[in-house]
Amino acid sequence: MIKTYYESGSLSTERQAVVIEFGNCYTKVGFAGEAGPRSIVPSEVRSLKDGRTRKVFDAVKADDQYNLLVEFIHNLYFRHLLVSPKDRRVVVVESVLCPTAIREMLAKVFFVHFEVSSLLFVPSHVVALSTLGVNTALVVDMGATETVVIPVCEGVAVLHAWQAQPLAAKAVEGQISDMLKEREKSDPLEAEGYNNLTEKIIEDIKVRACFVTTLERTQKAREGKPCPCPPSINYLVGPGSNKINISGDVRENAFNILFEQDADQISVSTMMLDAITKCPIDMRKPLAENILLIGGTSMAVGMKARIQEELNFLVSSPQYSEKLKLRTFKFHTPPAKENYTAWLGGAIYGATDIVSTRSLSKEAYLKDRKVPDWVSLIYNTLNEGVKRSV
Amino acid sequence: MAYLVRNDIVQYACTCGQLRPISFLYFCRHCLKLRCGYCVCHEVESHYCSNCLEILPSAEARLKKNRHVPKHIRKCQACFDCPNCLNTLAVRGTTVSVRDPEDPSKVNSQKKYYHACFFCRWTTRDVGLPDQAVQTVSANGWAQKNTSNLQRITVLLEHAKLLGMLERHEREQREKKFTTRFRRNFSHLPGLTAAHVRKRAGLPPELPAPSTIKVNLAEFQPAVAKDTVQELPSDIFTEELDISRVTTLAQRFAQPETQPENIEDLLPMYKHLSTKQSQRCRECEHNVSKPELNPSSIKFKIQQAAYFHVPEVRFVTIEPPIGGKPSEVVILFINPSQHPTTLSFITLQEAEDEMKQYHSEGSADTSVQQGEAPPSLSSLTKPVTVVEEQKPIDISLTGEVLLPAPDIEIILPPKDDAAEYDDSGETQQFHDDPKIVIHRRANKASLRFTVVPKTDFIGENCVIGFAFRYTYVNRISSPAISTSEQKPQKVQLCTRVFMNCGKILEGTQ
Amino acid sequence: MSSLSTHDAKPKHDLKIATHAIVCHESKLKGDITIGAHTIVHPRATIIAEAGPIIIGEFNIIEEQAHIINRLPPGADPSTQIVMEIGNGNVFEVDCLFESTKMGDQNVMEVKSHVGPGVEITSGCIIGAGCKLTGKEILPENTVVYGRNCARRIAMDKPPMQNLQIEFLTKTLVNYHHLKKPRSANS
Repeated sequence: MIKTYYESGSLSTERQAVVIEFGNCYTKVGFAGEAGPRSIVPSEVRSLKDGRTRKVFDAVKADDQYNLLVEFIHNLYFRHLLVSPKDRRVVVVESVLCPTAIREMLAKVFFVHFEVSSLLFVPSHVVALSTLGVNTALVVDMGATETVVIPVCEGVAVLHAWQAQPLAAKAVEGQISDMLKEREKSDPLEAEGYNNLTEKIIEDIKVRACFVTTLERTQKAREGKPCPCPPSINYLVGPGSNKINISGDVRENAFNILFEQDADQISVSTMMLDAITKCPIDMRKPLAENILLIGGTSMAVGMKARIQEELNFLVSSPQYSEKLKLRTFKFHTPPAKENYTAWLGGAIYGATDIVSTRSLSKEAYLKDRKVPDWVSLIYNTLNEGVKRSV
Repeated sequence: MAYLVRNDIVQYACTCGQLRPISFLYFCRHCLKLRCGYCVCHEVESHYCSNCLEILPSAEARLKKNRHVPKHIRKCQACFDCPNCLNTLAVRGTTVSVRDPEDPSKVNSQKKYYHACFFCRWTTRDVGLPDQAVQTVSANGWAQKNTSNLQRITVLLEHAKLLGMLERHEREQREKKFTTRFRRNFSHLPGLTAAHVRKRAGLPPELPAPSTIKVNLAEFQPAVAKDTVQELPSDIFTEELDISRVTTLAQRFAQPETQPENIEDLLPMYKHLSTKQSQRCRECEHNVSKPELNPSSIKFKIQQAAYFHVPEVRFVTIEPPIGGKPSEVVILFINPSQHPTTLSFITLQEAEDEMKQYHSEGSADTSVQQGEAPPSLSSLTKPVTVVEEQKPIDISLTGEVLLPAPDIEIILPPKDDAAEYDDSGETQQFHDDPKIVIHRRANKASLRFTVVPKTDFIGENCVIGFAFRYTYVNRISSPAISTSEQKPQKVQLCTRVFMNCGKILEGTQ
Repeated sequence: MSSLSTHDAKPKHDLKIATHAIVCHESKLKGDITIGAHTIVHPRATIIAEAGPIIIGEFNIIEEQAHIINRLPPGADPSTQIVMEIGNGNVFEVDCLFESTKMGDQNVMEVKSHVGPGVEITSGCIIGAGCKLTGKEILPENTVVYGRNCARRIAMDKPPMQNLQIEFLTKTLVNYHHLKKPRSANS
């Protein structure tokens, strides 16, 4: 019954908008209104000249960055989406912390090179909530380089409470790499295998062999009474099939880097509690009872269980027991895999009227050559946005 | 033909500033400018399956016709990819003996089909999918299993759309106070496509009353958070892990919605389609390349490649470049067109100045035209054309070339396919300066240049650059000119060329 | 043990070909080689028994430019005898190189694949085109090695036997090539 409304609405005849979530390692791309992305592709470009692959967001010079983006987005359109970019709407799901320079560059690439008809930047933390239908939640995005915690209240990101730390996939991979190097010294026979470890192989080891252990075992190990290690694994490296041994210690403890409180006493779980602490007191309970974990790193086996354990432990520890009087932490399960939850949020947003009313149009962009910041224009001052589009 | 593949020997500067070999360039016959893959507008012409070569003309049309299958659009319905190694799966037939249900003593043989990957030997039997009775297997056998998510997402989508409508409703109410319905003019509305504007200006789709929206909104159930999460399986600390049974990230991401973690859960994937693309000049919106629709055809309907129009430049001989010493370079010029052309040489600086002048004139022209455009071509229907700004050419010159005086003109006869087999010798006289033109044959001429490599770039490649003017006969009569001038127009064009003469050697003294 | 001494004396007589085997004359066979019944050795295939005898079972296909070499390990004593055993129903495709000492039954070495001396191949394995295995290991049964990075998986079944192909080759090769005469070990 509800269906009839929007089928007769203006959007059913319009072409589906393209929804893209650029990530440091993987980019998710698909169409608005669909249940999942068409492709999850590495954010890499293969150079025509020398055949090397380069990360899209690694460029130093603006010119170089522009060319990389053009090539990468061209591939997205013609290899994965298979539609013409021209005169089609685009929704970009971006992190709140996305540098303005990158956003300006993206706008230029989309409008000037690909001639898209409109562009809408949506903040990943806020749109992720539309996969749940709730307005208030503590959104934790564990991505490739950073973990970003932002509380969202009634659909508005509480920006002064945000927390971001480089405690994410790259940190875990660095830890695996260090632990394996340590082993290499004690095991010179397998040196050939260790020498060939590339970034991709470390990532593969992380995904296929490692898991997040429990708090209890970590604490015991810290007290000097370690539990027996899980079984080790023989792993074959590279074309030469050199065998290396991944010990149970690596498998179990690589992810612990995210939970070891470093010199500043910061871990993923303290970030979450700090974010809650910075929020007004009446928001704390709803935030603690609406936690949404997104981003690929949160898909690691045992990650959610560990975060819950950590939160329950920390909140009764002297560090937080004074500040926070929270008892329960509840977690949401979105109807999507964690690594594309933010994308799905963008796809849901992109299927509504919002995409036609709040987008930055090509004409507006070409006039000013500027991207309005979402904080100032789109969310906070609705009236100004209306003036612009009428 | 190696020079066509080696893209660093002779490079032409495209109008946009990119350097490409001539085989990578287009020539727009309407703008009379070089275009490259970077500065043309790419469009998807048709979709086809690279395995069965079936054309799916327009995915968009299919979407409209049958809105229940948008899920798998842009995927071939008959072909599958291997979920293990991502290559194409092949259909294999076997005969299976089945016991007759009526007479258990009789055994019937039956033809059965399954999918197998010839690359990594994965088969649908590996994951326990039943064999199929027909050869053209549809995916019924292994329908996607995440229907519960799909239902929830549909509900969420409806919810979000209702919210969007409510917001629009409120805004329209606000607007009503200021503008009456009849005086509303949408043409200046940015952010709306032409179709959208027409729809709104003509017959605005009636929004349901806000009360009904609110009723429907109230039906929505937001997600509820739980205090239990997926536990870490306790046997992970004791069980041996067989890493070959865990999928890799590439395998997971190939099936983004399910992202299976065990190889037992891998299902064959619909084959991703390929596209045929056309290229369009951004300035005049004419196609410079348009393929034939048929996926097995490699021909083009339109192909304005630069090597059909622009004189081609090749090296004939190069004296080894020595730093600071002039060396002789013989360069061949080929006229690919059906009309004679006249070459003359200028420096890069002169060519740039000329282009700047032309550019400023050109932009003045278009502004006049826009003013006079008929109302049907108003800015509403004809979107603003956006052109990438020109970029400076990204190459450093490490050698200087001494060009013939700009008033020396070299005439190249037209290309004549029959002349290739004609041994009767040249009959035409060109009165060439024998110091410059060393050799001529049909539409080709070899010219002698002197190159002085710079001394401070020893060990690097000696890159020289120059520009040449050539006459081009424009046989396309644009509608505006056709009334006054029926004859083909003769125009003079200019192209910049960069050539790599090889490593600069050190002097021997 | 007496036969061993005769090997050393008359190395030319070390080639033993079973009655139903097809060994083309243009193939290059060197050293002490035993070829089982119904095994096909194409022209230009190379089998070199340098470090010791090579014993090839039945129903194998050894294609053009395939190299089966029983090599002396570098620095090893030349008098050591290493026996290379190849089971039944194996296929050695064009330009593959097999240097290991042990191969079971029903394996496929695809085009340009390479199995180094340290790799023992059991049964039902497929070494994919261009794959190189140079480490030291025992390949489990039904292993498939494929792709640029020599990815591996365990297949459900063994690759099918090539009986039809063997039958076809047995009929056709005779028409176009001279064969090496079957010679049993005793004669």
